[in-house]
Amino acid sequence: MKNPLLPIKAVITGIKRETEDTKTYSLSIEDSLYTARPGQFNMVGYPGVGEAPVSLSSTVSEGNFQHTIRSVGRVTEFIDRFNKGDVMYVRGPYGSCWPLNSAVGNDILLVAGGVGLAPLRPVIQEILRRRDSFGMVTLICGSRSPDNILFTSEIDGWRKDIAVFLTVDEVPDGMNWQYDVGLVTQLLNKTTFKPEETFSFICGPEIMMLFVARGLFIREFLPSRVYLSLERRMECGIAQCGHCQHGSKFVCRDGPVFLYKDVSRLPDGLL
Amino acid sequence: MTGENVFQGSNLLVPKDSFFTFIDSLRSQYRVLGPVKERNHAVFREITSSVDLFMDYRTTMLSPGKMFIYRPREDILKFRMELPISIEEVEPVSEKQVIVGIHPCDINAIRYLDRTFLGSYVDTFYKTRRENTILIGLNCTQVSGNCFCSSVGSGPFLKAQSGYDMLLTDFGENYLVELKSKEAHELFLVGGKEAGPDEWSLKSEKEESLLKSFKKTICVDGLDNLFMKNLDHPVWATTANERCLSCSNCVMVCPTCFCYDLKDEVSMDLKEIKRIRQLDACQDFRFSEVHGGNFRVRRASRLRQWVIHNLNYTGQYDTIKTVGCGRCITWCPTNIDLTEMAKEIQRSTIR
Repeated sequence: MKNPLLPIKAVITGIKRETEDTKTYSLSIEDSLYTARPGQFNMVGYPGVGEAPVSLSSTVSEGNFQHTIRSVGRVTEFIDRFNKGDVMYVRGPYGSCWPLNSAVGNDILLVAGGVGLAPLRPVIQEILRRRDSFGMVTLICGSRSPDNILFTSEIDGWRKDIAVFLTVDEVPDGMNWQYDVGLVTQLLNKTTFKPEETFSFICGPEIMMLFVARGLFIREFLPSRVYLSLERRMECGIAQCGHCQHGSKFVCRDGPVFLYKDVSRLPDGLL
Repeated sequence: MTGENVFQGSNLLVPKDSFFTFIDSLRSQYRVLGPVKERNHAVFREITSSVDLFMDYRTTMLSPGKMFIYRPREDILKFRMELPISIEEVEPVSEKQVIVGIHPCDINAIRYLDRTFLGSYVDTFYKTRRENTILIGLNCTQVSGNCFCSSVGSGPFLKAQSGYDMLLTDFGENYLVELKSKEAHELFLVGGKEAGPDEWSLKSEKEESLLKSFKKTICVDGLDNLFMKNLDHPVWATTANERCLSCSNCVMVCPTCFCYDLKDEVSMDLKEIKRIRQLDACQDFRFSEVHGGNFRVRRASRLRQWVIHNLNYTGQYDTIKTVGCGRCITWCPTNIDLTEMAKEIQRSTIR
């Protein structure tokens, strides 16, 4: 009987700096049967430091995948010091995924805030891989400032296949910026949707997801097609330690991807 | 015994002396645990003789399930830090044990913990201990002031037909012994009179008379919706701000509270790191903390989380979490009573 809390080694095969505090780590594990669906997460950690839940920021191929990690806590600050060739310890994947298969044949709207773009990147990769399976695909992405945007080297490539709208809260003096300034919700006006045929996947700060979802419902998007990814404290990832309980749900097992309507109006949440 | 399989076993009227001789005979194969009187309290601990047993106990501070099956602290794995770092699995300990004299609330609490630790993911430590433990239940003969098991269907007589091994009912000189598992059937080779209609009607009478002595009751029908409509009810803030100390006593003594904290402990020579888990409590400030915020900053929201989790959230495991043992009320230093909080909301809604 296998201990579900047992991590495995993941060798860092590459590190790419995304922003001042965020890097994308390419990892390789020995388990070639490891698969994960877009939206799922691993518990990532190191002995003596602990573990933190991190969504996969790429699809998985023969034991290779990526995590995009912002250095903000005990575990992530420790990982920030890692170099290529170092090892971190991961277990997973855990949780629910973005319902891409249900969205086949429909339009897709992706709304990301800050590092919330990371869990949506495997969705984009998957869409690009089988672009013909989906209708119109739009990405709306908001960040604090132009130098806080993730995956900048890839976004122009994405534009060939999907519509991308970028916005920032503010542009520091002297910085070049050709896109929007303001909230992501304002960008909902910039494009036209077919609300009843569109699946929406939202990931970002909870307050942002609240207003984006409201904006979508005002535009008559269907509650049965608006999904988001929740953040909660997680220690086990396997619906036992209890920290991520939200209403009667375990965010680690029943989420992190939920239908908006299934997690709205619960205690101790903003939605 | 674990699981949902109902075992059709025999039911015997057995003299208490014979039963206790049976318990003593188990000690050659099992660690035997049961209620023992220590000063003015009853506690569950290992016994060296059935003479130690205090079967007329009312209640204990800690439930046997959260002492001997789900341990308050457990080593999960070890890292050997000499390069290359190696991971050493901690083998689940599988000492065979018998726990005798468990009240219905605590049997039901163990059946509840099964849903967490033998559910969508199986905890190897819990499973190993659970499978190596014989549970002998004991129907209650008295009701304490804070007991409300009769309101939530978990006592004072055990209705569940599976998930434990034997059930005792006190018949004066005898125990009515109901065998509920194959293991119990193989183990209990004690002669006795097969229980007939007289015994069953006497058992019902005993239960009926006991049901009349409950002082604390709560109607849980409709609480699910009522709580959700009253997330801002003043009872949460008032109770939390004026009385709750966030001490987490309620969580620690709760037989169904399952939350744990994962922690790494580094040895003094830095060569070994143990990943352990230990009980955690939603009343603790950092329980719901994430980077940049905390989902339950206010004491009121932490208290509300605990009360609603216990009395509602039947959607989690299709059963109510509380087993009505009343320990949280008994051990709260400021006498916070979750049933009273629920009733206050019920009263104000009727008005």
